[in-house]
Amino acid sequence: MIEDLKELWRYRDLVRSLVLRDLAVRYKNSVLGFFWSLANPLVQVATITIVFKYVLNIGIPNYSAYVLCAFLPWMFFQMTLSDAGESVLRHLDLLKKVYFPREALPISVALANLVHLLLALAVFFVYLLALGVAVEPGWMVLPLALGLQLALNLGLAFFVSALSVFYEDIRYIVGVGTSLFFYFCPVIYLSEQILVSGKIPAGLRERIWEVYHWNPMATFLEWYRQLLLPRFVGKGIDDVPLAAHHLLIAAAVSLGTLVAGYAFFNNRKWLFAERP
Amino acid sequence: MDAEAAVRLVDVRKRFRLAHHPVNTLKGALAGFLRRRYEDLWALKGVTLSVCRGETVAVVGRNGSGKSTLLGLLGRVYLPTSGVVEVRGRVAALLELGAGFHPDLTGEQNVLLNGVILGMRERDVRQSLDSIIEFAELERFRDAPLRSYSAGMVMRLGFSVAVHTRPDILLVDEVLAVGDEAFQQKCLRKIREFQNEGKTIIFVSHDPDSVRGVATRCVWLDDGLVKEDGGVDDVLGHYLQAMRG
Repeated sequence: MIEDLKELWRYRDLVRSLVLRDLAVRYKNSVLGFFWSLANPLVQVATITIVFKYVLNIGIPNYSAYVLCAFLPWMFFQMTLSDAGESVLRHLDLLKKVYFPREALPISVALANLVHLLLALAVFFVYLLALGVAVEPGWMVLPLALGLQLALNLGLAFFVSALSVFYEDIRYIVGVGTSLFFYFCPVIYLSEQILVSGKIPAGLRERIWEVYHWNPMATFLEWYRQLLLPRFVGKGIDDVPLAAHHLLIAAAVSLGTLVAGYAFFNNRKWLFAERP
Repeated sequence: MDAEAAVRLVDVRKRFRLAHHPVNTLKGALAGFLRRRYEDLWALKGVTLSVCRGETVAVVGRNGSGKSTLLGLLGRVYLPTSGVVEVRGRVAALLELGAGFHPDLTGEQNVLLNGVILGMRERDVRQSLDSIIEFAELERFRDAPLRSYSAGMVMRLGFSVAVHTRPDILLVDEVLAVGDEAFQQKCLRKIREFQNEGKTIIFVSHDPDSVRGVATRCVWLDDGLVKEDGGVDDVLGHYLQAMRG
């Protein structure tokens, strides 16, 4: 694996060029060009604001901000996995002709989506300014949170991109899987609602709360909210500070996924060109 | 590996799996698991070959004899199933010109991307940018999207990028057979230039004239094995005789 990393480092310009190509090509033929990459988060911000501010008002001031703060990183997760499914397959012809470290493909997909998230977060900060919500000083820890989520996304992207080459079903499974997984992550609800839900027997709530946090995405999305937004005040819901052991679990799972995914990918990467 | 060898293969075998049912789905994999319906296809069955620095080796043989697989192994696109492949120096493969080009990017952007795909640092590609585009005779189309290029223009650009990667070993697969007369002459001149610089060239060709004109040695591959290896006139003569007979 060390040798693979060294070789990847030699090809670092390739990763950068692939990311830039992805960003350039995506909006190349449109009149508004790169502004489309801002338009997408703008539309998301507007839609979610309308739905959660005016329709689904659960009584927490600026609830739409809390939803968005988790939704944008969620999109980073979902888009990376769906793009990863095509990242190697799309370049199969190239793989049959030219040597280069194959991992450059899924890595560039994850990084391009990280750039999209950063653009969306910029829009989000302007939006918070407009709402009059003060951004918390915790944003300085944001690079760490983004880095850990990138590790998780990339680790899964390695698995998805390598498996898709041999089993085309994987892309559909990932599509269905992520849309189900969405509900196991606190995007449109707050994870603290588990702790106050009247439908869950009181004795079980704590246990479910713990199991819920085996999912690193749950922890990350909570973390983003706590880093960027003030404590929310709602009817009977209090935000619970992130537990250190949840953060440790999330970090360990993410980094473990990254290492396992890279090893899995490396074991198969020279077979991609021989796909029967 | 002795000091002068640029390429060394020892008893190299390469197996491909030929599937007779769709295997790239879970259903297919399951079916294949229950009833193995692969056919093993041995493209190379034990090739031992050593090429010295500065040699120009032509590889001849009928279709399916393993020529392209050999170049693929040297270009590190495939791993050998067994045996040793050693390559010393920077390899440029002119296997299919323009692989990795994107139709929506301009000629210049494609050169930059293709250069790094072929393993150059970006600043080196930028430095050679003008001479790459000049060599391809595409100055006027520099900022036009690749979509608007003709097939010949794409090929010229691909060839130009590949030869500007400053390779030590050049792998050429049939590119001399395509393109118009002027472009073929240009390719040949470039290949002579490489020869004079003492670079190693390994090329596959079906054209006896280009083999005689360029090669210093000829390897005849037959059914995944080296049938004959030696001087151009001898090997090529025997090969052509066998083909006619």
